[in-house]
Amino acid sequence: MEFDVILGNAARAGLGPQAAIFALAAIGLNLHFGYGGLLNFGQVGFMMLGAYGTAITVATWGGPLWLGIPFGLGLCVAFALALGIPTLRLRSDYFAITTIAASEILRLLIRASPATDVTGGPFGLQAIANSFYDLNFVPDGRYGWGTFTYSANQLWVMIVAWILVAGCSALVFALIRSPWGRVLRAIREDEDAVLSLGKNTIAYKLQALTIGGVIGGLAGIIDALQQSGVGSENFMPQVTFFAWAALILGGLATTIGPVVGAMLFWFLREGMESFIRDLSAQSWLPQFLADFLDGSEGAISVALMGAGLVAMMALHPQGIFGRRRDLHLGA
Amino acid sequence: MTTATATAAAPAPGWKQDPILVVKGMRRAFGGLLAVDVDRLEIKRGAITAIIGPNGAGKTTLFNLLSGFDRPNAGAWTLDGLPLSGLRPHRIARLGMVRTFQLTRSLARLTVLENVIVAAQAQRGERLDHALLRWLWRDEEERARERARLLLQRFGIEHMADEQAGTLSGGQRKLLEMARALMAEPKLVMLDEPTAGVNPALTQSLLTHIRGLKEQGVTIVFVEHDMDVVQDISDWVVVMAQGRILTEGRPGEVIADENVIDAYLGRAHTDPDGAPPAGEAGDA
Repeated sequence: MEFDVILGNAARAGLGPQAAIFALAAIGLNLHFGYGGLLNFGQVGFMMLGAYGTAITVATWGGPLWLGIPFGLGLCVAFALALGIPTLRLRSDYFAITTIAASEILRLLIRASPATDVTGGPFGLQAIANSFYDLNFVPDGRYGWGTFTYSANQLWVMIVAWILVAGCSALVFALIRSPWGRVLRAIREDEDAVLSLGKNTIAYKLQALTIGGVIGGLAGIIDALQQSGVGSENFMPQVTFFAWAALILGGLATTIGPVVGAMLFWFLREGMESFIRDLSAQSWLPQFLADFLDGSEGAISVALMGAGLVAMMALHPQGIFGRRRDLHLGA
Repeated sequence: MTTATATAAAPAPGWKQDPILVVKGMRRAFGGLLAVDVDRLEIKRGAITAIIGPNGAGKTTLFNLLSGFDRPNAGAWTLDGLPLSGLRPHRIARLGMVRTFQLTRSLARLTVLENVIVAAQAQRGERLDHALLRWLWRDEEERARERARLLLQRFGIEHMADEQAGTLSGGQRKLLEMARALMAEPKLVMLDEPTAGVNPALTQSLLTHIRGLKEQGVTIVFVEHDMDVVQDISDWVVVMAQGRILTEGRPGEVIADENVIDAYLGRAHTDPDGAPPAGEAGDA
């Protein structure tokens, strides 16, 4: 077994752009659910709008990237309002179902053939991030050891992405410790009680949905920049659930939870995939098992992640940084 | 019957000259069931008014309607002359009418102190556009915190201030909920069964607090089942049955009223052979 290779792969994923993207998505979800009690199962919709808004501005309309990014985030705000105004008055389960449906409808519209002129339809959009990489100050070359290496461009994306992660974490931290955040956490506990104290609970929920959605939009924009393109297949519903997994792994309603959760999620997922790939090449393994493993490393590692999450829910449901007592208090 | 009609038609002199809350023609039907059907109800300013009646009489539904949590099919009501019809619950609370709930609603994962502070009205820091500008709300927040601590002291739960509210006992939650309602500085508080499920010693302490509120000039309306409590602290009693106001009056008079005994214990209790009077279909 080549443990240095496996570990290198795992570490590269745990610190790489993907981890930062999912950390951002999970920070948004944490504001939604961890602090506001909003069950958002459509975070990928915000990511998609951020990414496509940016890509369409640059690739379709030939506009500058610095205009595309606020346009993408503006679409996220519009999506939050369109989603929230009709549904946040309803019970939280209706809201949850609406979010997953709305983001999937959005994805199908974006990839529909009639939309090809604007969104690229099934082909997506390419070459959108040239001006972003022009700003790269990291000298050309490869950085790292063994399999734990990044190109200069990847390093540049990572620097920007992790700065955004730190910034968004700080923003949520400050918001939650303000009186505004206190009202939001109170709504999570019992909306009617807060309503009876003269707070416009729907306005708070709408604000939280919008801010968390814009943070999700930033995640999508980073994704578009690191691939220098967008494609609808990158925004399947499971993206939302991977972000949820990262959040639950790290611990709900904690500042560091979504960040460490996302890093650990990608570290474990890539590490496991790499381990299984290495395993299937071992001569001592029975042939039928090697055949079974070969080519399905990704699927098996995701399945194992799922099993691991189930085990964690049973043994350590509060996540790494959560407080167990909070679970018993319930809401 | 005659006593009831007389009391309802001509209340004791001095009452209702300055009502804070006036309800007219309020109706709420759930399917075929008329849960609330109140022609006129006035709540006297600065007094303690008890609303009593058997289960299903519509007391809590009336509370829900008055506080905006439910919408009536018809009717209008005013607080200090301001019409409240169609207002959402938070707007009604901001006008000075704050309610509590039958089942206590403590905010479990907030601290006891936070539970009270969150009820402070018109806090600048609660606005999203001010939330990050700490210097705009730091002083206001400090004052609110101080006031909340005083309230916790007054209700005898200050030693729990930094604990999560979910760890409080049932009785402590009742105290917390009352402290929280007061933090909002209401003109009128509506307490839905403030002593339900509370031990006798704590009941006495809750009643003392309710009297204290009155002395402070707050109007109190409360739903209650315990007749001893009602006699003990209320200035005026409104009896509901089957959604209507059966009678109202001073506690001593109302409790002696035959109709009230009927409504609570069933008609058979006093008149085993008699048919129900017109307009009173079925049992309560």
